[in-house]
Amino acid sequence: MQLDPVAIQILWNRLITIVDEAATGLMRTAYTPSVKEYHDFCCALFDADARMLSHSTVTTAGFLGIVPEVLRNFIAKYPPETLRPGDAIITNDPWIASGHLIDISIAAPIFHRGRIVGYTLCIVHHLDMGGRMSTLESKDMYEEGLKIPILKLFDEGRLNETVFDFMRANIRVPDKVLGDVRAQLVANNVCARGLKGLLEEYRLDGLEALAAEVIDRTESSLRRKIAALPDGSYRNVAVLPKVPGCDDEVVVKVDVTVAGDGVTVDYSGSSGEVGAAINCSYNMTRSYTAYPVKLALDPHVPNNDGGLRPIEVIAPEGTIVNSRPPAATWGRTMISHLFPEIVFATMEGIMPESILASNGGSPANEVYLHGRHADGRSFLAIAQHSGGFGASARHDGYACLCFPNNTRNIPVEVTENEARMYYVRKELRTDSGGPGRNRGGLGQDIEFAILDGGNERARDVESSVRLSGRTEDGPFPVFGRLGGRNGRGSGLWHNGGAVDHGIYRRLAPGDRMRFVLSGGGGYGDPFEREPERVLADVEQGYVSFESAAEDYGVVIDGAAMTVDAEATRRLRARGRPPAT
Amino acid sequence: MTDSYRLGIDIGGTFSDFALVDNAGGAIRVGKVLTSAHAPEESVMRGIADLSGAVPGLLGRTSEAIHATTLVTNTILERKGAKTGLLTTEGFRDILEMAREVRYDIYDMFIRLPEPLVPRRLRLGVPERLLADGAVLVPLDEAAVRQAAAVFRDEGVGAVAVSFLHSYRNGAHESRAADILREELPAVTVSLSHEVHPEPKEYERTSTTVLDAYVKAVAEGYLERLAEGLAARGYRERLFVMLSNGGTATVETAKRVPVQIVESGPAAGVEAAAYFGRLAGIDSLLSFDMGGTTAKLCIVENGRAARTRSYEVDRQHRFKSGSGLPAAVPVYDLLEIGAGGGSIARVDDLGLIRVGPDSAGSAPGPACYGLGGAAPTVTDADLALGYLNPDYFLGGRMALDRPAAERAVEGHLSEATGLTVVEAAAGVHEIVNENMAAAARIYVAEKGRAPSELSMVAFGGAGPVHAAGLARKLGCPRLVVPPHSGVMSSLGLLAAPVAFERSRAVRRILEAVDLAAVEAGFRALETEAGELMPDGAASIVRRSVDLRYSGQDYPLEIEVSGPCDTSSTKGDWEALFEALYRSHYGKVDDDNPVELASIRVHVSQPPPALELAPPPAQADAPPKAWRDIHVPAGAGMERAPVYERAALRIGQEIAGPAVIEERESTTVIGPGDRLRVDALGCLVVDLVIHRPAASGDDAGAAPVPAAFGRR
Repeated sequence: MQLDPVAIQILWNRLITIVDEAATGLMRTAYTPSVKEYHDFCCALFDADARMLSHSTVTTAGFLGIVPEVLRNFIAKYPPETLRPGDAIITNDPWIASGHLIDISIAAPIFHRGRIVGYTLCIVHHLDMGGRMSTLESKDMYEEGLKIPILKLFDEGRLNETVFDFMRANIRVPDKVLGDVRAQLVANNVCARGLKGLLEEYRLDGLEALAAEVIDRTESSLRRKIAALPDGSYRNVAVLPKVPGCDDEVVVKVDVTVAGDGVTVDYSGSSGEVGAAINCSYNMTRSYTAYPVKLALDPHVPNNDGGLRPIEVIAPEGTIVNSRPPAATWGRTMISHLFPEIVFATMEGIMPESILASNGGSPANEVYLHGRHADGRSFLAIAQHSGGFGASARHDGYACLCFPNNTRNIPVEVTENEARMYYVRKELRTDSGGPGRNRGGLGQDIEFAILDGGNERARDVESSVRLSGRTEDGPFPVFGRLGGRNGRGSGLWHNGGAVDHGIYRRLAPGDRMRFVLSGGGGYGDPFEREPERVLADVEQGYVSFESAAEDYGVVIDGAAMTVDAEATRRLRARGRPPAT
Repeated sequence: MTDSYRLGIDIGGTFSDFALVDNAGGAIRVGKVLTSAHAPEESVMRGIADLSGAVPGLLGRTSEAIHATTLVTNTILERKGAKTGLLTTEGFRDILEMAREVRYDIYDMFIRLPEPLVPRRLRLGVPERLLADGAVLVPLDEAAVRQAAAVFRDEGVGAVAVSFLHSYRNGAHESRAADILREELPAVTVSLSHEVHPEPKEYERTSTTVLDAYVKAVAEGYLERLAEGLAARGYRERLFVMLSNGGTATVETAKRVPVQIVESGPAAGVEAAAYFGRLAGIDSLLSFDMGGTTAKLCIVENGRAARTRSYEVDRQHRFKSGSGLPAAVPVYDLLEIGAGGGSIARVDDLGLIRVGPDSAGSAPGPACYGLGGAAPTVTDADLALGYLNPDYFLGGRMALDRPAAERAVEGHLSEATGLTVVEAAAGVHEIVNENMAAAARIYVAEKGRAPSELSMVAFGGAGPVHAAGLARKLGCPRLVVPPHSGVMSSLGLLAAPVAFERSRAVRRILEAVDLAAVEAGFRALETEAGELMPDGAASIVRRSVDLRYSGQDYPLEIEVSGPCDTSSTKGDWEALFEALYRSHYGKVDDDNPVELASIRVHVSQPPPALELAPPPAQADAPPKAWRDIHVPAGAGMERAPVYERAALRIGQEIAGPAVIEERESTTVIGPGDRLRVDALGCLVVDLVIHRPAASGDDAGAAPVPAAFGRR
């Protein structure tokens, strides 16, 4: 078949539409806020050679480098000649799939005119997979929940009840979680139907010609952008925030080498695996390493296998960036979410316009609550809140905007309908945005309290609140860039006393947990920020009068709410405070 | 009902359109006047005065007036609503700004989000707290509400939105706060979240409520003045307003929650396109409505327009959900583009011509209106290209100044670009078409369709002028221009039957539902909806149930018939649901119990009869004139025949290039296009589609897959 640019564009869009419809099917038939609201999932479509062609636009960045490998791993176990129409394959193995047990991957072959023309895959971060769940304390995988080896969940259209029986016996809210697993099957059904419809409609026998165009064009687009960069090697050594329950100091070393039209990112020299639940699988490392390269260089090209080819990621086995079974992995984002800014830091010199200052909510916040309702039913709720977005050469950072992952918050009202708790506050934190010519986005201040279920078994609630662990005075603050100051604010308090994050705590009725998510880093010298913009920030309560004077050198007349130009000139002439 | 009329009134950003249908014979009269931006109701009165010339005592003889307006959307887009304050539960005032904390594009680091309509210093929290079950944890602090009212008063706030957590379960705190606010601030309008959108998810509910508050004073004042003006001129019946999903509401309902009419005008256009599509036997079409300020496209498949409940206003990125302000109201899923006859053309810093999205509107209007506008607009370009007749705009009631249009093009575009007036004007025409095509390609692809499968139904004052060019760019093979295309939205108001939908949440496992109570619920809804219908109107009643597996959010709607009290009712519903679920989602063997989410009643009049008086001519009409028009890819201007649409014979065929003029619009077709007048008087144009010669010069082989051209 001959494909001209118009046909390629239409068919390529259609491939994306198909996976987006699959994602819609998933969301519409899901049972838990984890899928319906949080959106930590992906749907993807592959050709018969297991090359990823399209990826749902609603998704989070952690899947980018993972998805293509998951399907290749599935096919290695179940080669195409062993697959039949109506088959579906499942696993949550962290090294085969997406890096921790709570994510379940389900794939299915797509048959058309008697042969496999492609595959559909759906990965979902579930609400519950048994085990200790959201704690950084687990020493190995066996503490972290039920592991599902690669199995056929459906065999020629017949459900393998044994898989469901095992899951049902091991998790706290099985009806809901199994409902979400069924929603993954819906996503795959919708995707398969969409692809078959496309093939029928355009009278195509397969995707080979289209796949080659999609992947080659994507690859060459990124290669052209890389080729425009100066060749060279750019280094960064990051000492990461202290992880509760882990005595080891974690260091990530990175060497970014631009050579011709390819990039190599080498993590050699990074720390070894640790006995805490923060170890990354290679694919996870690859996802969050390729992501900042795509963001900075080629953001407007859709994601598929081609976009990963120009980026080589080297990560020695046995390190924290390429761990082996049975390392504990639940909180692997404590490390992987930092890769984008570690990579951005190496690019500060060569492409200052294409990077962001650090995000105040990275690594991502995660709140877990489980216990019983008064009637004895188990509940399990998750929540996530974001810190301030990093400023850039172009803009101030937005308040409370997710990065580098991309999940929605779960509404306060939804969580309160699920769990025996209520929020006391969720509001912006004044002065938390890192000062800069462009200011970092504000972080937030959150507090929740436990309600009494009225009987003994419905008293206490188990809860874990995981934060970034970054502090203003620690080794890895929320960095500003090009003279911008660091983001501010962080901490976790149980009934007013500071406590460690990322571990479970038993909360009694009336107990309160408060936590602060930092603002984003600033960009550029804050003394260069126009005084009128500082005044506007003070008017809205984003910045205090004190911070306006101290951080920005702008004096504001509080009665008239105007800039005192003369006093500002004098203050700015006196010089800047020392950089943090 | 002899000697009575139905009246459709559609207020757009630039023009206001009118359609009047005789209840006895179905004969149609139409009208069009410029919209007064400062007081749109005055345009209504002017339009009615015009129609009254032909039908004396018109309003006294009108049995039903239906209204659509773009006032609400424009108020938001232009940020011309009331200065609005927001009252929230203490500790949660920033929910409006935090939104869902997610990026709508995961690859773009520099995305822009819309400014919240309420700045932070006008967002005030007061102590009060309800729990998820509606129980009171903290009683409302009334003194704090009064203090907040004092701040709002000092700030000169004109509207207040009240959105407390869990108010969808218990509206008492919001209602009490509203009482206090009305006492303290009698001149201020108040919107309550449990009335506007009584559903969980605080951000979406708050955003919808804030939008409602922001537009309420403008909408209320306007609708009241409109109703009073009509009454003063003899209208004695109820005034209806079209909702954003093509449904109808009384003016009282629309005033109470004006955010529901945010897409009222465009919905009327879609109704009209679907109506003519049905008559012409076209089941899948692209409706294209281009007026003075914006162009709107909507896919209609199998007679049913695309719908959405996740509507957003003021999207920063046209195609990305999440980039706008959520308005949780049911709407048609339209593509809206800032491109219209009034769109202003300029030369940018790169020396290139740019068109829109800003519009000259009706004041000052295009340069050729002679109302003070100096900047060249799309209409000026169309006039300079010979597409429009300066002496036949609005049937000759408004003279267009062609030299003024040419001067505007020359002064603002030619000098900076070195192009001739015709070249520059042709550039403006081409660029605005390309802007629309680029957006439409993505919109159509997002719906999983190819434009080659769709017929375009074009209307609006500027639609038929640009439709052939746009359809050709998109690859739509056929164009349909219905009669009265220049005022088709107002006709759509009458083509859609008056209809009311009422629903009630049940949220019980089907197994445990008391069917007698459900039957009583259906009857109550039927009575409620029936009372809204115009007096004496016959009505068609449809019942449906929303079913889902218990634990899911999203139900499937199943139409049910007959009383629901037989022993087989539940089994029948469940079987219908499971079959529909399987056809939507495939085989997944769900074993959770089925839940009855809600019951729904839809009451409508029978579809009204419109008598589209077919052209009476017996013989082919000759051109009434010849005029030089610009022919793309041709050598500048070419002589082309100009026809009077009303004089055309059914079955008459015209070969392009040609111009077909009618009072409210003008259809332009290009070389090779073939136009035919169908039995209804629609202009049906088979277009010459230029396939891009991307794969070389093998003209024989279609460069696109063979299947592309089918249908």
